[in-house]
Amino acid sequence: MILDNFKLDGKTVIITGAGRGLGRAMAIRFADCGADIVAASRTVAQLEETAAEVRKRGRKCLVVPTDVARSDQVNAMAVAAFKEFGQVDVLINNAGIGEDSFGKPIEEITDDEWHRGIDTNLSSQFYAARAVLPQMVARKRGKIINVASGYGLRGGKHNYMYACSKGAILQLTRSLALTYAEHNIQTNCIVPGIFPHNEAMMRFFKGGKFIPIGRPGQDEDVGPLAVFLASDASNHINGELLIIDGGGLAGGITPTGVAPGNPA
Amino acid sequence: MALPEGLKDFSLAGKSALVIGAEHPVGRVAAVTLAEAGAKVLLASQEPGTEEALKATAQAVTAAGRKNPPTQVMTAAVRADLAAAADLTVRKLGGLDIAVTALDTPFYAPVEATDDAAFDRVMDDNFKSVWLACQEIGRVMLGRGGGSIVNIANVMAERGVPNAALYCAAKGAVRNLIRALALEWARKSIRINILECGWLDEEGSPALEPGDFSDKLVKYLPYRRLLKPEEIAGALLYLVSPAASFVTGTSVALDGGLLCRV
Repeated sequence: MILDNFKLDGKTVIITGAGRGLGRAMAIRFADCGADIVAASRTVAQLEETAAEVRKRGRKCLVVPTDVARSDQVNAMAVAAFKEFGQVDVLINNAGIGEDSFGKPIEEITDDEWHRGIDTNLSSQFYAARAVLPQMVARKRGKIINVASGYGLRGGKHNYMYACSKGAILQLTRSLALTYAEHNIQTNCIVPGIFPHNEAMMRFFKGGKFIPIGRPGQDEDVGPLAVFLASDASNHINGELLIIDGGGLAGGITPTGVAPGNPA
Repeated sequence: MALPEGLKDFSLAGKSALVIGAEHPVGRVAAVTLAEAGAKVLLASQEPGTEEALKATAQAVTAAGRKNPPTQVMTAAVRADLAAAADLTVRKLGGLDIAVTALDTPFYAPVEATDDAAFDRVMDDNFKSVWLACQEIGRVMLGRGGGSIVNIANVMAERGVPNAALYCAAKGAVRNLIRALALEWARKSIRINILECGWLDEEGSPALEPGDFSDKLVKYLPYRRLLKPEEIAGALLYLVSPAASFVTGTSVALDGGLLCRV
């Protein structure tokens, strides 16, 4: 029965950036599928709100305040997860910053902003994968899901750190996928399009009117994709970029809403 | 057993589906998958003379809990047959919410040994059939308020293979057709995506013929083994179901990571 392959009962899932946005939506969706959550991010108050949602669904949630840009803290988070649950079945590298940095001219970006962004968005994924892989190899199973962005595949005006860090995540995904295929560990990448998390972003992206499907993504849209990639239903998918963007990356060589010849 | 709350978007309960190429192993898995997830299915063939294979698929669907699905033996490269299958699905099942094409005619030969007749046949069976299917299914879905289409192809849609120029061109054409149709239908509630199989463990595949090619190929694959048809099920269900309602114009490769190599 195909739907049984999607079940996540009793699985332990680490989600970084679980305090808000996509991370929280995934945590709630995974709890609804029977999984226990390790919620990691910097802001404890937000993590506790996520944890309350998970526990309301009868699942466990371990809150681990973590600055994912620091490998010592990421390592400690993984140790705490193993101590609490005994194993980690799924790692979701979701934490990210810098969507609000779009539009900043290059000469105004400091070294510190650049490094902080690269470390939070990219190095964090490397650190967390490194921290959980030995145990996944020992168990001969595991799933790593890296969250990138459509900006990892396209350029953007005044968009440097974000585009570079997200593009590098695609490469991290591919190399992890090829390296650990023989250990039955799948590494894949979710590539979200425009998912505005506040009014300012909604204005910046003009309400999503240039997205082919006609609306921006909602955080809840990503939950089922993450569940699919975390489950046995996706066991032959490895190193793949799963785009969820309302059609954005299918086009792009014409503006949305117009077409050559007769009107679209 | 009740479906967990978090999996409800993956259910196809109440939906009507058309599977074209249902006589093939991959098409059979598609039909069974949709039936298991709760859809009613109509099984159509790629080619005539496939009564027995289609019957076997109907039995598999029956075993999955959808008794005696309607079948239609037809030629997928003929417009009238596709139009009839799309209309028949609505007539027999009450709608056409989901369509899956599993249309494939492999062709391996050096360029200089490929004549014009081969060109017509390979393009008709691998590309024109998909084009016609999308047109006829689209016609019905647009009239009924939308739907979801998945075309099953293979990784040759993404890369070149020697002695397979024509076959690769046809699959690549399908890949880009999906992008353009996704944009054209994005605001008309039709989603369309492509599933790309890796090297399949399927009768007639060069990957199964003993020799240098298959020996070296299998060692080169990240999983060191071929894809079994039943392994397409999860990705297919994700793409056709409401779980992927923000996903259109995309590809999902089932290759164990093969495309990461190049």
